[in-house]
Amino acid sequence: MSVLQLRDLKKQYSGTYVLMGINMECNAGQIIGYIGPNGAGKSTTIKILTGIISDFEGEATVLGMDIRKNPIEIKQRIGYIPEQAALYEVLTPMEYLKFVGRLYQLPDEVIEKKSTELLRLFELGDKTDTRMNSFSKGMKQKVLLISGLIHNPEIIFLDEPLSGLDANAVILVKEILSQLKQAGKTIFYSSHIMDVVEKISDRIVIINKGQIIADGDFETLKSEAHKGSLETIFTALTGDEQHQSTAGEFIDILKN
Amino acid sequence: MDKGLLKIIKLFKTVFLKQGIDFERMVAIVETKLTMDKRRVYMNWRQSQQKENRNHLNMILFSYLFFGLIFGIMIFFIPSFLLSMIMMHAYVLFMMAMTMITDFSTVLLDTTDNQVILPRPVSGKTLFMARLLHIFIYLLQFTIALSFFPWLFTFIKYGWLTGAGFIITVLLTVLLAVFITYFLYLLILRFSSEEKVKEVVTYFQIFMTIFFALGYQVIPRLINLKQLSYDFTLHWYSYLLPPVWMAVALETLQSYRFDVVHVSMICLAVVVPVFAFWVMNKYLAPSFARKLSAVQTEGNAAGKKKVDANSNKSLPGSLSHLLCRSKAEKSTFEMTWKITGRDKAFRLQFYPGMAYILIFVFIFVFNGGRDMELHWQGLPGSNRFLWFIYLPMFTISSSIIIVAFNENYQASWVYHSLPVSRPGELVLGSIKALFVKYFVPVYVLMFAFCLYIWGISIADDFAFGLFNNLLCYLIFATLSDHYLPFSRQPNTRQQSGRFLIVILQMIIVSALVGVHYLVLQQSWFIYGLMPVMIICCLLLMRNLQQLP
Repeated sequence: MSVLQLRDLKKQYSGTYVLMGINMECNAGQIIGYIGPNGAGKSTTIKILTGIISDFEGEATVLGMDIRKNPIEIKQRIGYIPEQAALYEVLTPMEYLKFVGRLYQLPDEVIEKKSTELLRLFELGDKTDTRMNSFSKGMKQKVLLISGLIHNPEIIFLDEPLSGLDANAVILVKEILSQLKQAGKTIFYSSHIMDVVEKISDRIVIINKGQIIADGDFETLKSEAHKGSLETIFTALTGDEQHQSTAGEFIDILKN
Repeated sequence: MDKGLLKIIKLFKTVFLKQGIDFERMVAIVETKLTMDKRRVYMNWRQSQQKENRNHLNMILFSYLFFGLIFGIMIFFIPSFLLSMIMMHAYVLFMMAMTMITDFSTVLLDTTDNQVILPRPVSGKTLFMARLLHIFIYLLQFTIALSFFPWLFTFIKYGWLTGAGFIITVLLTVLLAVFITYFLYLLILRFSSEEKVKEVVTYFQIFMTIFFALGYQVIPRLINLKQLSYDFTLHWYSYLLPPVWMAVALETLQSYRFDVVHVSMICLAVVVPVFAFWVMNKYLAPSFARKLSAVQTEGNAAGKKKVDANSNKSLPGSLSHLLCRSKAEKSTFEMTWKITGRDKAFRLQFYPGMAYILIFVFIFVFNGGRDMELHWQGLPGSNRFLWFIYLPMFTISSSIIIVAFNENYQASWVYHSLPVSRPGELVLGSIKALFVKYFVPVYVLMFAFCLYIWGISIADDFAFGLFNNLLCYLIFATLSDHYLPFSRQPNTRQQSGRFLIVILQMIIVSALVGVHYLVLQQSWFIYGLMPVMIICCLLLMRNLQQLP
């Protein structure tokens, strides 16, 4: 069953199109890696799918519902974890999670119980009542993860979820994502680093300049790249070759 | 106070439900926002912020209440009803607009909301209502704090009817203040970026701090002035001033006069704010939100194009060549010069201090504004130019302490990782920069002013004073803790022991002023002592440079 459907999705900011007709369909229970260089339109797509951006062209359906017509119902059943640690820093994790939980209309006791447990699992148990402005980026990211998952959503959207996390947390989050998949959730997640995506994604969608340029699992993409069709993008994302010459130049300048 | 206001709103639950608003979610948002208001660090009050738990908002509200008390007392001293009411409304209008511009900007310009609330299942209507209520409660708290005493005094002096009218006119004035703020922001956003808005806000904040400092000093003195008993007459331009509308409207309640002037003023008083509010809701607010989101999305790409052109051949660059010998010294000189000009926190802490120079001049030289003309005439015959020579140093010396603090204090690792043999050079460079950048221009201004009053004869005093001041400054620098510039975390300032140093500073300055005073008796002393001073300065500089 397809839980996400995009048909000819376009978005413009004051005249310039950042999305130029995205077509996509995603099935339930998959991890989809949505990757592309910076400024390709990854975040914009996710913001449209989560209802943050409401003026766009084309059609977008989430869980079989039109995102323009049933935004509230959709939002109740999806979770979103933004990039750049956007949260209210002056609150404590517990206060923030309570606030978010209330917006999802969870009972206070449930929120409190869940939050305490989840924060403990993320090794933030002793920070439950400390304001977050002293938190590191990784710690904030952990709170954001919890806040996006606390209502047990069916689809989870993550925008650069691993940035700023320490190595252990990265492993933990990867494991959580694959277990969520086991439980039948759909995970849609963006990144500009191929490295992370390739290991856990069932399907990888590469976008560049507002258009999808490749779609498939990692192996297919790799073989296609060697045929030449998307080589430069692919090397940029996986990080080989041309970087070597840049690095060489860098060293040369230092010598002088 | 906010809890109480929220309770009142909860009484209207059914009204909200009827409008199709999700009451529980709305309350959750408003409650969270009010909690955040309490914890925000208010820019104007930075210095007083120490502990995390302290409720800044209540402190501000309390100080507003106190300010209102001081200002409100004027109602008893001004015989003219109209004039006192005009002043009260002008005060409310000014204070509310300033508060909105300086403190509420963080709320208005905050786009975190989009990321946090929009992906949650909250309807647009509910969110809009929550925002409106939040702003409403926030403003109401300030309005109550600001105008409580003026209202109380009006009530006591002019009776209950005028008191009741006062509440309404104050609320109308607040509406106008909101409108002005929105309009101003929109205007700035229309022509420039969000960065610029923050810049402008900083200047408003500095202005606000200065205003407070001035207000506490000057208003109590003004009360004693007799000139205020002048009656107020209406001119054509009175029709352009909102406080006048409000005051005249109130006068109608006071004296039951219903002539053309009064009725038209009442119309203006009621219609303009309501109309302005309607325009704001209908046109300004939506376009404001659109502008902001546009700024946010495009800002990353296009906003950072500002390049500091010809930074190689800049003023600090050439000055550092002139004044510093070692490379390390030069680099901190230039760095200090540039960062002090760009860092918001430094400007906020230091610039208001500069205004104190003016206030001190006002108080010491002109005896707090009493018998102004008499003092003015007596100036040329007096020795008062000594104040002009030495007052600047009191505030400028504070920069030595302030410059050590910076929000990016972590960046100071750079000093420790560098192969600098004598860190004293770094400190010296930054001290020189502060002296040249802040002391010298003020001193030149003072000199120009004194030249106008006293004539050329005081030129040698100023020359002597310059070295004397420099000596003072260097002594302060030697006595200070020698932190590297921008290397300390803000708010870690330990107060213990500071008091002693301040006393010591006072003694040193008075000693040096005393020397200057003695020198005045015999003109050749100046030329004899100047080389001594210069040698002292050079020795101290060497000493600073040798610091481990």
